[in-house]
Amino acid sequence: MDIDFTSLGFGTNFSILDWCIVIGYLIAIVSIGVYIRKYIASATDFMVAGRGLKTFLAIATMIGTELGLVTVMYSSQKGFTGGFAAFHIAFAAAIVTLFVGITGFIVVPLRRLKVMTIPEFYEVRFGRDIRILGGIILALSGILNMGMFLKAGSLFVTGVTGMTSEFHLKIVMTVLLCMVLLYTTLGGMVSVAILDYIQFVVLSFSLLFASVMSIRHLGWGNIVDTVTREMGQSGFNPFDEAGFGWSYVLWMFFMGLVSCAVWQTAVIRACSAKSTGIVRRIYMLSSVGFLIRFLIPYFFGICALVFIANNPTLKGIFLSADGKANSDLSLTAMPFYLSQILPAGFIGIISAGMLAAFMSTHDSYLLCWSSVLTQDVVAPWFKKDLSSNARLLLTRIFIVAIGIFILVWGLWYPLEQDLWDYMAISGAIYSIGGFALLAFGLYWKRASRAGAYLALIAGFLALLGLSKVQQLCSPLLDPIKKRFEIEGDIPSAIIGLTVLALAIVLMIVGSLLLPDKKQIMNSLETQE
Amino acid sequence: MDWIKIWTFFFFLSLALFACLSIVVTIGGFFNIRSLFKDLSAARQKAERSPAGDDEKQR
Repeated sequence: MDIDFTSLGFGTNFSILDWCIVIGYLIAIVSIGVYIRKYIASATDFMVAGRGLKTFLAIATMIGTELGLVTVMYSSQKGFTGGFAAFHIAFAAAIVTLFVGITGFIVVPLRRLKVMTIPEFYEVRFGRDIRILGGIILALSGILNMGMFLKAGSLFVTGVTGMTSEFHLKIVMTVLLCMVLLYTTLGGMVSVAILDYIQFVVLSFSLLFASVMSIRHLGWGNIVDTVTREMGQSGFNPFDEAGFGWSYVLWMFFMGLVSCAVWQTAVIRACSAKSTGIVRRIYMLSSVGFLIRFLIPYFFGICALVFIANNPTLKGIFLSADGKANSDLSLTAMPFYLSQILPAGFIGIISAGMLAAFMSTHDSYLLCWSSVLTQDVVAPWFKKDLSSNARLLLTRIFIVAIGIFILVWGLWYPLEQDLWDYMAISGAIYSIGGFALLAFGLYWKRASRAGAYLALIAGFLALLGLSKVQQLCSPLLDPIKKRFEIEGDIPSAIIGLTVLALAIVLMIVGSLLLPDKKQIMNSLETQE
Repeated sequence: MDWIKIWTFFFFLSLALFACLSIVVTIGGFFNIRSLFKDLSAARQKAERSPAGDDEKQR
């Protein structure tokens, strides 16, 4: 994708001043992260900030983590390809998060149990072997899920700065990763929480400002008219089968639930909260954050579409003759658009905020998956408890190892679908089984180990939602496609929903046919 | 159903809500950070006074 936009008359507004802002900002936040190291006294301080996060800081850190650059990138791509209809994903996320906040569904019982990770709950409820299997699946799914983070982040950097060289891209990726690894391995959750707060402040205000700038620059009427012209009804109606359709909307409601109540990086915030009352408040107030983390990027993607569709040269590059977006280029449309409309100086602030968001997401995810590998995969093998220092060392080693993996994966894996769909499906490998274990494990006394095994393993079938895997399994899938008259790939939403239904059925049937000899639920209730 | 009107209303209402939340969380978060550092410092001093307390029980 080496297109020199400057030679086409679309030079970036990103100036020397912006570079100074970005570099100064990044050095400042890494320094703060390293400084905070002196407050870390134990593994609990490192992983869940000593369970001392109060409401506002917990909200800032939760939104700070979830409103990452990767979220902004994949969401803007969805806005670019789906128009206003993509807003339904933001709506679903907000409604489901609010529901979790009001009811305390899953997260409140988890906080009561004082677990650090979800697989830790698996052990309490189903036994140690389920914890190890669940930990492996969770870490595998999570690491795969963050595999494209570096690529998405680097595409933002190149898009906004006007860099076109692949070499520069790799250098930027490596430098950013090194900075993240430095302060994540040193500071743990305390530095993550503080930096998430700083990032939340910078990013939330700059996103709001950029939204106002976009409306002023393009005009609301023009935005609506262009989407109508380019996409018709499917650009607004999420149920229109030419666009998203019913199955996709349903799948997004489930993904909304997963994002806030089943996904470990969000749940760890609930585990870090000071009390269950704070957990509920965090979720109720964060519902606005979960809404906005999708909504504003969708809007930027829509604005990028409007900007590009109204320029014949750019339209020829970004959109094919039938108006469909090229999947590789659609990811870079939003940063390119921002580089064109935002003034020098401000573009540096928003880029610094985005890059901080990129690092913030990375640090939270690295910390999360390395904690899972340490606590749930390695530690249970030792008969004698691992010391706090040994756990800290192991966690830091895993952080570096995962960092190296995502650098290699980001450069190597060919993304052949919308990034959001890749993220949803790679996450579903864990979250489908995880949802079944959490929901049934917490609320159904008869849920058994056999059911848990079956549900966890069923989640693996979600891999079929990845384009690359569908290509590899074409001999198996072609008869199904023929039977249901599906052209191209089977939609990831259909696969996700089918696997979810299968996991739930297997959990119920497995539990009824093979119940546990010992009733574990009683011991769980005693602990609560 | 007029989806254009729905999404227009939804978008501007969300922006307004988020603007309010950002202000509240920014101010409240600042005070929470001060309190977190105080708690961690106190915990650290306590741990230094009793070296046997390695960490809370690891599951």
